[in-house]
Amino acid sequence: MDALLEVVTGNLLSPMVLFFALGTAAAGLKSDLAVPEAIGKGLALYLMLAIGFKGGAELATNGTAGTVAVALAVALAVALVLSLGLPVLAYALLRLLTGVDIRNAAAIAAHYGSVSIVTFVAATGFLEDRAIPYEGYVVAMLALMETPAIVTGLLLARRADHRTSTESRGPLFSREVAREVLLSGGVVLLAGSFAIGWVTGDTGMALMAPAIADPFAAILAVFLLDMGLLVGRRLREFGAVGWPIVEFGLYMPLIGAVVGLFTAYSVGLSEGGTTLVAVLAASASYIVVPAAMRVPLPQANPAIYVTLSLAVTFPFNLIVGIPLYHAAARLIAVP
Amino acid sequence: MRRRTHDTVLAEKEDEIVVEAARARAIIEMIEKAGAKGYSVVSNVSGKGNRGIRDEADLSDVFRNILIIVVAAEDIAARIVEASQSLLENYAGIVVMSDVEVIRNEHF
Repeated sequence: MDALLEVVTGNLLSPMVLFFALGTAAAGLKSDLAVPEAIGKGLALYLMLAIGFKGGAELATNGTAGTVAVALAVALAVALVLSLGLPVLAYALLRLLTGVDIRNAAAIAAHYGSVSIVTFVAATGFLEDRAIPYEGYVVAMLALMETPAIVTGLLLARRADHRTSTESRGPLFSREVAREVLLSGGVVLLAGSFAIGWVTGDTGMALMAPAIADPFAAILAVFLLDMGLLVGRRLREFGAVGWPIVEFGLYMPLIGAVVGLFTAYSVGLSEGGTTLVAVLAASASYIVVPAAMRVPLPQANPAIYVTLSLAVTFPFNLIVGIPLYHAAARLIAVP
Repeated sequence: MRRRTHDTVLAEKEDEIVVEAARARAIIEMIEKAGAKGYSVVSNVSGKGNRGIRDEADLSDVFRNILIIVVAAEDIAARIVEASQSLLENYAGIVVMSDVEVIRNEHF
């Protein structure tokens, strides 16, 4: 327990976490502090571009073409299975333990199969701060895991239609949902930057480093201030969520992390890579999946699923989860 | 029926629809299908209603409302109001219709 406390307090005193806390406190106290929306979105784009490019460039530097292609293919297959499978686990837990209805459970479950890019980026910041390397293709897993969970969530939600009506169902995927799954801005930018980083390799990295490597941690801290403001505003909506669901928002990341740790172990990732896969499996989406759920599943309440993933699971992972998953990864990962 | 109240002023109906961003595309398609020649969109409107406070300050669009304004002849405006009801089921939305007087009536 002392060791755990030490791990967490070490993380607490990073500028990233402290700026996040500042934002949360300011919004909680109803300060008028605000990051203009366009700047917040711009910072998010910067972080996705930087993380994608760095992953691709790392892949180009540290591997021969043949081994990299195999490792990448395995990683992507694993990512797809995690994103499609985790919502089933989340759905079962929600239905058994929280008493939430089918559509809300399915919508929440989709969020937990998907990932939080910001949590992942914060975890890479945590690793870079400690000079722990990680496999570049884990970034490709991040891009791939963001949207398949939407498909599982919508399939699970169909259980509600089955019980309440015998009418023929509409198509599962409207064009809007398909566009969200395949061409979500985050997926396009992450995958595209990853490809550009991979193709341009060291030369590209030398060119981009002044913008995407050196100021990365500082810009992440600024972005987390904005995230803190968003979380602080969401905290007022806790009434809509209810305690059993809030608890789910705390234990589901731990369960997801355990699944991620063993998955990473089984494919032989390093300490850094294992930490990041645990973070991917533990984190929940609060940008892409809410937008994707709103059109096909309007009966599910966004005040529940956004508040849960943004105001419960995100801070938990940022403050407690990342150092905890790293400590576990150090124990099990291939040296 | 269109009724001239002045040489250059025409009596028309105006529909104002406040709707959450996720549903905007469906509403706009419906407006075009109903025969309106155009519409205006205010892409961020905040306020408070039966879904609590809604504003744009979020990373996803699920708490963002937009305002759509349509000026059209009475029959088209009424068709839009009627068709909006089923589209707004389960979504945040306010629909009002009012009388307006239009200048530059060749636009409508």
